[in-house]
Amino acid sequence: MFKSLKKLFFDPSIQRKKAFLRSLVLFKDLRDRELGHLAQSLHARTYHSGEVLFLEGDIGRALFILESGKVELARAGEDGKPQPVYTAQPGDFFGEMALLEQLPRTASAAAVERSHLLLLYRSKLDALLIHHPRIGASIMAHLAQLLSARLRRASTRPA
Amino acid sequence: MSQQAFPWGAALAILVIVALAVHFLLPVLIPFALAFAVAYVANPLAAAAEVRGLRRQSVVILAYVLIIAMIVLLAGKLLPLLGRELSSLQDEVPAYAARLRLSWLELQRRAVERLPFAAEQIRHIDTTQAFGRLIEQARNLPSYLLSFFPLLSLLFLIPFISFFLLMDGPASIERMIQRCPSRYVEQALHLVFEIDHSLGAYLRGLIVVALALTAASFVGLSVLGVNQAFWISVLSGVSSFVPYFGAIVGMIVGGLAATLQFGSVAAGVKVVLLFLLLRLGDEMFLQPYIAKHSVHLHPLVFLFTFMTGGELFGFIGLVFAVPVACVVKALIDVGWSWYSSEAQLRVCDDLDASGVPFT
Repeated sequence: MFKSLKKLFFDPSIQRKKAFLRSLVLFKDLRDRELGHLAQSLHARTYHSGEVLFLEGDIGRALFILESGKVELARAGEDGKPQPVYTAQPGDFFGEMALLEQLPRTASAAAVERSHLLLLYRSKLDALLIHHPRIGASIMAHLAQLLSARLRRASTRPA
Repeated sequence: MSQQAFPWGAALAILVIVALAVHFLLPVLIPFALAFAVAYVANPLAAAAEVRGLRRQSVVILAYVLIIAMIVLLAGKLLPLLGRELSSLQDEVPAYAARLRLSWLELQRRAVERLPFAAEQIRHIDTTQAFGRLIEQARNLPSYLLSFFPLLSLLFLIPFISFFLLMDGPASIERMIQRCPSRYVEQALHLVFEIDHSLGAYLRGLIVVALALTAASFVGLSVLGVNQAFWISVLSGVSSFVPYFGAIVGMIVGGLAATLQFGSVAAGVKVVLLFLLLRLGDEMFLQPYIAKHSVHLHPLVFLFTFMTGGELFGFIGLVFAVPVACVVKALIDVGWSWYSSEAQLRVCDDLDASGVPFT
């Protein structure tokens, strides 16, 4: 009886989405209900193979989280042709700089295969910071750690 | 740097199609627009359930079942009350009209006494026919009210449509984003967010004000002993869908009803003061909460919006004027944001410490 009631009222897809978000380093400190609020701030979209997410130089406004599939990030080489720099796997996220400032993207992104992505739009993060400060602050703190790590790696890399 | 050439032609074509659809299909669109507003206002409840991991569809069905059960239970008490109010309206309004005529004759007599030079002209003002017509119309008032009953179909149609909208939830937005060309997804999200931000806050605020005004004015009018408190408070609540109208309608209708019922202007003044107090309470307690999240329109833009809406679509135009202005404002804000960021008008260079080496 209790099990069938639970099945009737609880949505397993929400639990799956929360579990996926919890597995990401960006959201690992969030509580269950906070993950619920975050899940509602995310938009889902499926990209087909070859579909372009954004091009280098486009103004970035959202963070992309890859739930399934593969996305290739490429940067224009000296000859102007795109050079692959990274292939994002499920659980990876990219385009996070767009959450901090609206500047041109530094790489292009295109789906290599059918990929399901979650998008966190910059204004949604602002709304989270206002209405659920703990969620917003936690995401911002992890973004700052990420940027710091990248900067440290870049500055210690031999010339 | 690559430029995202926005398909302005397509956007303009969509705008023209929407304007033509609104012009030709207005009567069909009204229940859908109202249902959309209801679903929009109720959506945070469904969203709150989803945050807790609950299935949206089950929660919506449960909420509808509970509301229907409540209506059925309340109908037993509410329907006789409505019937009593209607029949007393039929009895009282002709009496009020007759009393109004007596007051007029008294006023005429005094005017003749005090203004002897205009006595002849004043005596010639014959209001017998006008009051006769008024009494005749007043007797028909309940049947006029009953003639609004076809509108009650909206009371069934709107919850029916909003049921499906609530069941669907954000899925319709996700479908729209899925159909959006991949490189414009971020812009589409921006637009959806801006419209949601301003429209949602405005609509939710409007419903809160309407419900609060209806309940508070019903209590206030009942305490003052005004007959027809129910109808006057409902009229005032419905009128408040046009900002500032609710209290004004309450003051005029309620004030007049109280003056005629008690035969004294003081009673009318009490009702006017009651609605002034309610307006003040609205400004002090509700508006700060509502305006905090609401759309910020310049008062002149507000006025222009109302006049245009009223001129084009009458009362419905007045109701939908501000929501449409919210959408237009969101379009302009988003357009400017895109243009300014694409044209690099806004560059964040206020971090003086960015030149300091990494430590």
